[in-house]
Amino acid sequence: MTTYSPIERRQRGALRLAALLLAGIGALAWLGRSADPAAKPLPSGPLTLGAAIAFTGNANLYGQDQRMGLAVAERWAQQSAPGGRPVRLQLEDGASDEPSAIAAFNLLIRQGVIALIGPTLSQQAFAADPIAQRQGVPVVAPSNTAKGIPEIGHFISRVSAQSSVIAPLSIDEALRRDPALKRVAVFYAQDDAFSTAEVAIFQKVLAARGLTPITVQRTQLADNDFQTPITSALQLKPQLVVLSVQAVAGGNLIRQLRELGYQGQIVVGNGLNTPNIYPICQRWCDGILIAQAYSPNLNTPINRRFQQLFQQAHGDRPPPQITAQAFTAYQVLFEAIQRLQRRGGLTGVTLGKARANLMTELLSGTYATPLGPIAFSPEGEVLQDRFYVAEVRMDPDGRDGRFALVRQVTLTKSQEQERKP
Amino acid sequence: MIEALLQVVLNGAASGGVYALVALGYTLVFSVLGVINFAQGALFSVGGYLTYLLMGGKIGVNGALPGWGLPAGLPFALALLLAAAGSGLIGLLVERLAFAPLRRRNAEPLLALITSLGAGVVLVNLLQLLMGAEGYAFPPSTNALAGLPAVLVIGGARIRTIQLLLLLISAAAVLALSLWLERSKGGRALRAVAEDATTAQLLGIHSEAMVRLAFFLSGALAGLGGGLIGVSVSLPGPYFGIGYGLKGLAVLVLGGLGSVPGAIAGGLLMGLAEALVPSAASGWRDALAFAILFAVLLLRPSGLLGRRTVEKV
Repeated sequence: MTTYSPIERRQRGALRLAALLLAGIGALAWLGRSADPAAKPLPSGPLTLGAAIAFTGNANLYGQDQRMGLAVAERWAQQSAPGGRPVRLQLEDGASDEPSAIAAFNLLIRQGVIALIGPTLSQQAFAADPIAQRQGVPVVAPSNTAKGIPEIGHFISRVSAQSSVIAPLSIDEALRRDPALKRVAVFYAQDDAFSTAEVAIFQKVLAARGLTPITVQRTQLADNDFQTPITSALQLKPQLVVLSVQAVAGGNLIRQLRELGYQGQIVVGNGLNTPNIYPICQRWCDGILIAQAYSPNLNTPINRRFQQLFQQAHGDRPPPQITAQAFTAYQVLFEAIQRLQRRGGLTGVTLGKARANLMTELLSGTYATPLGPIAFSPEGEVLQDRFYVAEVRMDPDGRDGRFALVRQVTLTKSQEQERKP
Repeated sequence: MIEALLQVVLNGAASGGVYALVALGYTLVFSVLGVINFAQGALFSVGGYLTYLLMGGKIGVNGALPGWGLPAGLPFALALLLAAAGSGLIGLLVERLAFAPLRRRNAEPLLALITSLGAGVVLVNLLQLLMGAEGYAFPPSTNALAGLPAVLVIGGARIRTIQLLLLLISAAAVLALSLWLERSKGGRALRAVAEDATTAQLLGIHSEAMVRLAFFLSGALAGLGGGLIGVSVSLPGPYFGIGYGLKGLAVLVLGGLGSVPGAIAGGLLMGLAEALVPSAASGWRDALAFAILFAVLLLRPSGLLGRRTVEKV
């Protein structure tokens, strides 16, 4: 039996410990690798799309509309491509704040989704999208319109045209109706990324049209009572009011503006692009102007089919824009998956590789959607040239209404470029 | 100048009245149990939705029973009172589920904060499940209720009629409660329990019954506030009461924990402070209001009208 000196014993012990540590680290790395779904081969069964949208919190109003759009899209997909690669949808509550959106994205990515739809708010996207970007998971945003979303990274795209493209249209309509407009009051939610981005665009457009805001009132997302900012603004006798706030606050603002005696034109931003404002501002909604990325009046086969499926599920009413955009987000991913499948891009690859292939495929395609024909720029920005200006017309009892089409606008390439911030 | 000042006072009083109503609900529970019921904001929402349903409003397409509603709606005043009573009963249920079990086990008061917060979250989520997330307008009969113009002009200052009505009803509720607490046998018994539950028990007052009464009244006040705000700004979603609940909590501390006059003074002060913020800085309204709260607490840690507690040795 070999005997060792105390120094040798310590050296041998240290070596054993080092070997054990190395083995442990190696095992952990291997286990970690094998636990990462991106490293595993793509399963042959149905592919899963993850959707993190707001079911709870202040943005749940939008989340409800998006859920309807995704459900309709699932039915459309089942009927439109019977032999194609099956796709299932997994919904997760992204709530209305950044931590919840991050948690939902993380959960869905760990569960091995091939792509993500969401989150509902731009504010959440700035927090959650970098996680998907780092892990190479394609994201299609159905309702993020703030500046800078696709710029988060290669894997981030959106089907919701950014505010800078849409916002000028409604201001132009207000000026067309009253060319003598001069005095403008602006209200916006200062604690919301979308509203602050949109209001900057509104102000740029106002300045370009020679209109000077006589007051800019800053509100907050959770505000319901606007007595103080409205009375301050009305003392300055505005001829036009421009609102860039979310739906609930916007509905209340319009109602209180009218109740407090404001009779001029009201132009609203994309946050109020939902029929959910009708019950809140009721008959006072009548006449507000809004620019839209979707119109139920668009007479194309896919829009007719979308409306038919929507009305089968939700009765005889036109689908909201945000529902159409959620449908479109699912549709573009579904179509890209089918094309990729046909080309063999989903065969014999890992989930990570399949995600990367899907992103390339998504960006290279063109799509006939309920929003009209769309494509993507190499950065993931939606390329859409057809937009609409609508006016809210309320029923005589003031309980329900509709976005009545005022005009359709097709932007030329140079107009699109000009409106880019 | 006077017109602008009057406008600020009216704006501040209108929102301050509601804050006082919510803070009073907190005050009742705090004075009896020494804990804060974090479900108060959720009870505020419950009151709004109950008023809506009792007035014949229907559940929207995203609710659990789309299109369901009472066959006939009640008049606004009756619906508001019944909704307040309903919220009071739910407040009682919160006491039974979130507070009583902990009291029986002599648990840390901090735990009751967490259980009541949990009860509030459950209530708001149940509301969303039952009613959906959409906003609700009150039936048109509510607008006709006042039979008055939508806006009143007082000395050149403008206020929505419904807000003035809201202020008057809040003031009436606060006055009625204060009189009841001061003058009635039940009110005196409640104050005795608030002062010293053990001594009150020895004097033959059923302390447990008084605790339940405090929760019922507290829930009813929240429900009343929810119904009134619902009429004023519609029901923008199940979460709308949470913001008012938080503001009421700040008012409770500002006025002095457990002080009824303090809750009223704190509510009005908070409302006025918010209304005084110039329009250019309107987004910093909450920050200013809470800065005032901070300053008052530095100068008077017991709040505006709170009593300094003396540690017995």
